[in-house]
Amino acid sequence: MIVAGVGYRNLRDHSVGVMVADRLLDHAWGQDVVVEDLSYNPIAVGQRLEDEPSESRFTRAVVVAAVERGNRSPGTVAVYRWDGVLPADEEVHRAVTEAVTGVIALDNTLVVTRHFGGLPDEVVVIEVEPAVQEFGEEFSEPVAGVIDQVCELTITMATDESAVARLPHAGLGGQVPMATRHHLT
Amino acid sequence: MCFKNLPIEFDAEGKPFLRAGVANPYGPTAATPRGAPAQLTAERIEELLKRNGYIKDLDFDPVTRVAGALAFHTVADFQGRKVLEARSMATLFRGYEVIMIGRDPRDAIFITSRACGVCGGVHSVTSAMAIEMAIGCVPPPLGVLIRNLALALEFLYDHPLHLHLLAGPDYSSAMVGPTNPSLLERARRTEAPHAEIHGFRTMGELMDDLNPLSGKLYLEALHMTRVAREAYVLICGKYPHPQTIVPGGMSSTITLTVMNEMFTRLAQFFDYSKKLATIWDDLTEFFYEANPAYKQVGARRANLIDSGIFDHHEAYDATYAGARAWGERRWATPGVVMDGQLVTTDLHALNIGVEEFVEHSYYEEWTGDGQRQHFPTDPVGNPLSPYHPWNKVTKPRPQGQNWKERYTWDTAPRWDRQAMEAGAYARLWNTAVAQKLPANPFIESTGTSLKLRLPQGALPELELEWKVPAVWNAFERNRARAYCTGFTALVALNNWLAAMDRLKLGDTRTSTPFEIPKRGEQRGVGFWGAGRGYLTHHLTLDRGAVANYQILTPSTWNASPSDRWQQPGPYEEAVLNTPLLEETDDPAKFKGIDILRAIRSFDPCMPCTTHIHSDAGVITREVNTCACGVDDEGG
Repeated sequence: MIVAGVGYRNLRDHSVGVMVADRLLDHAWGQDVVVEDLSYNPIAVGQRLEDEPSESRFTRAVVVAAVERGNRSPGTVAVYRWDGVLPADEEVHRAVTEAVTGVIALDNTLVVTRHFGGLPDEVVVIEVEPAVQEFGEEFSEPVAGVIDQVCELTITMATDESAVARLPHAGLGGQVPMATRHHLT
Repeated sequence: MCFKNLPIEFDAEGKPFLRAGVANPYGPTAATPRGAPAQLTAERIEELLKRNGYIKDLDFDPVTRVAGALAFHTVADFQGRKVLEARSMATLFRGYEVIMIGRDPRDAIFITSRACGVCGGVHSVTSAMAIEMAIGCVPPPLGVLIRNLALALEFLYDHPLHLHLLAGPDYSSAMVGPTNPSLLERARRTEAPHAEIHGFRTMGELMDDLNPLSGKLYLEALHMTRVAREAYVLICGKYPHPQTIVPGGMSSTITLTVMNEMFTRLAQFFDYSKKLATIWDDLTEFFYEANPAYKQVGARRANLIDSGIFDHHEAYDATYAGARAWGERRWATPGVVMDGQLVTTDLHALNIGVEEFVEHSYYEEWTGDGQRQHFPTDPVGNPLSPYHPWNKVTKPRPQGQNWKERYTWDTAPRWDRQAMEAGAYARLWNTAVAQKLPANPFIESTGTSLKLRLPQGALPELELEWKVPAVWNAFERNRARAYCTGFTALVALNNWLAAMDRLKLGDTRTSTPFEIPKRGEQRGVGFWGAGRGYLTHHLTLDRGAVANYQILTPSTWNASPSDRWQQPGPYEEAVLNTPLLEETDDPAKFKGIDILRAIRSFDPCMPCTTHIHSDAGVITREVNTCACGVDDEGG
């Protein structure tokens, strides 16, 4: 099991993934859970995942990131099991181009690592809708208000099989019923 | 005399001076530069569009498979199969120059690295060199050697990426089949001349393996970027933003273990370089033989500029005064090629000939029509233009797009008022012709070529020879980039051996302590290079803080708009010269592959935001990546 954050440091709300990974590093995990910041070139992320010995390959990834979908209010948290459906080859190729030229984003990380086979079959995505994108360490108010819940939710998704089983399967972004803050409390 | 347009002459000792009697030597009324092509006027284009149904707008927005975002506007004559207008647009201002003002100069090493998601290290090093010059700090020999190795490894990531992930698919069967089916059919019948080296029996097989996602060459390139990255992080800590580059050298600890681990990865590029060079030789010659008109795709005058890179560890003294000497002892010789002729290798002449213009850019002019300038001369008294980076002030002025007026966030850098092209190939060209290479067993500069002796790996030892081409076009850019992989690997090998010699002598010092002066004004410039070529950072310090910071990248040169004399920028000129060779007469089915080959051959590295202009307005997708070529400036 790998719990991963994807995002940027010092980019306010877009640091959610990194910050959650940092905070959860010290959680009392079982031996089968690894927590990492996967905020780097998705090709390299895929290669890192592939490097796991076949007998200990990750069976599930719980990935946390801020993603601006634009069709939900800031601070909205969406949780789903990614259906793993890849876009057309042209779009995958575009994702690879973005990956090797420095783009770090949830969608292209998942698409690229799935395409090249590094990603576990089961992927739980936890997205947070950001309010701001600018230099700084502080979250906006709507995002700051859900960080604790996102951490708890991440722990649940990494440790509770039944909770994962209850999640909807969905495509990347916009194709899933949105869980809001209210669902988390 | 290397200047033909600027009124700069040289005395008997070779010192430049402004010609007497020129009232306003850098003024806006100076005559149109000699030998310059010009864009048609906007009025003339409008008239042609109205009168001829076969003349149409053809826009690429965004241009895909490039780093960051580039938009390109053309007007094409589908009957004459030629391009009548070409406009290159950098669509984002990121303003690193503005961010840097007032900061501690050491911040520049880390902040400017973020300009690029591919080649952050080149900005860090260029920045460190500008600081070294400003404060008087000289790295120890091992620091210079390790810095060279770090950047060579970064380029060994970058070259395969360009060749087989970004530009290569333009020559794949997946692309050639739909646009030029007869060409692909011919490829399937044509034996590949260098099959014994690269392993592809026919050109068709080779083109199949250039296909995106599935082709063996595509997948191999992804693997090789990993090999280079692994070697790079051994000495830089992180990729793409290194943590060990400091003014005065490197903060890495260099041991025999690190050197050995680096070598096992570097050595993999010897065979790979043999394959790359022969693949691009075969592709280039195949297209030329199939249709000589391909020699016109991306063609332009061979006007090239390169700031040189990879210092000799016994020559670099970090001073501006010494730059003429240490520049010419670099492993890649700095220089300017004008119309195919090398006109200078002198970093002072290169530096004083640079100007940036903003007539077609979203910036305000800062000189008061050439009347105001902070520095009338460089640090050794050579004349400087008010438009020189040390005098430039970044003054963004966002506004609507208008081909006649302003249409890009890029500026128009010019050398001797000519549109110059930057690239790894300029590095090869200067070095091949200048014959100033340090003595070494692997690379020979013959005056017309570079001979590269690549050691035995799984493939036997092989001598490659890159020859200065007779024509300058998209194919030659890519071929030179392929040879540059071998050149870079051998520069790294030479520096690796020299570093081992230092270690054997017990010399493990990689950096020199320094202090940032808190008084007075100091100036520095980093002359270095990206995988894509030319890179400079011009720095002014005032009482310990950055007072001005100007970045000039390869894509700033290449993506530049037309200038005040209506001379097109390099992408624009290359596209204007490109014939439309697709096998369709239907504009609706037209993919613009030859135009895209022309543009991609430069390896554009653009701003990190894609702005899609539509009738509804501007849709922006912020992706936070490579900013090369940006802001007027961005790798």
